[in-house]
Amino acid sequence: EPVLTKGNNCLDAAKACNLNDTCKRFRSAYITPCTSSTSNEICNKRKCHKALRLFFDKVPPKHSYGMLFCSCRDVACTERRRQTIVPVCSYEDREKPNCLNLQEICKKNYICRSRLADFFTNCQPESRSVSSCLKENYADCLLAYSGLIGTVMTPNYIDSNSLSVAPWCDCSNSGNDREECLKFLNFFQDNICLKNAIQAFGNGTDVNVW
Amino acid sequence: KGRRNQRGKNRGCVLTEIHLNVTDLDLGYETKEELIFRYCSGSCDAAETTYDKILKNLTKKKKLVTDKVRQACCRPTAFDDDLSFLDDNLVYHILKKHSAKRCGCV
Repeated sequence: EPVLTKGNNCLDAAKACNLNDTCKRFRSAYITPCTSSTSNEICNKRKCHKALRLFFDKVPPKHSYGMLFCSCRDVACTERRRQTIVPVCSYEDREKPNCLNLQEICKKNYICRSRLADFFTNCQPESRSVSSCLKENYADCLLAYSGLIGTVMTPNYIDSNSLSVAPWCDCSNSGNDREECLKFLNFFQDNICLKNAIQAFGNGTDVNVW
Repeated sequence: KGRRNQRGKNRGCVLTEIHLNVTDLDLGYETKEELIFRYCSGSCDAAETTYDKILKNLTKKKKLVTDKVRQACCRPTAFDDDLSFLDDNLVYHILKKHSAKRCGCV
């Protein structure tokens, strides 16, 4: 039984993308390397990541965010949303590294280091603010989050029931750094600023930014 | 909507576009995604090259043994960018050379 049967916002965003020449071109430009298997690998992850970065760099947010941050009411929709970045290539790996180790790898790369710093700055939660963000700017938070796609810190939705996201890592084998590791991971998984930003885009409620 | 052939003659051969469901293509995919399909159509009657002119003249004079000599056809001279879509079973597909970008009498 096919999973995707009824229409939904994520499907509408995909349709809109393919009717726009720029979005269509850069979408195919990442679907191609992210789904082409090489002799002993599922895909060339490096090429897939590079094409994903190009997609989010070149395609107007209306289209790129439309597919990544679409609001959903059923599994057909959330599954499509989860597939946006072709997670089998860009996200998943044989093993899940420790998040602090992954952060170290990220810091050795110029793009990853700067984009992770942007993410921690622009998606910083603040419970006392109206938006739940310290910076009170959803657009900057979404830009910083989508900027991580195509780095070793590539995040994705972790299940189909919520807007919880995480990079491909966990906090097992953290030793004495367990608390620090969980703090890092929870900044992704349990971030009210990021969740509100995604929700506001999906519902089209953050009118002054777009 | 269509774009005129730039080369002067054969103004009839133009690029035309139509908004379709991917399933309308009948290529065997199950998906709700859509596309713009662009195709070439129109007449290439005005002979474009000396070759075409000679063929026409020889046909008229019945000097050619084969009765079916191919006239110029309105065909894509370049193809549109690839199209990708996610099917109902969450599998991605890519269509290449599926849609015209420019047309010409060739």
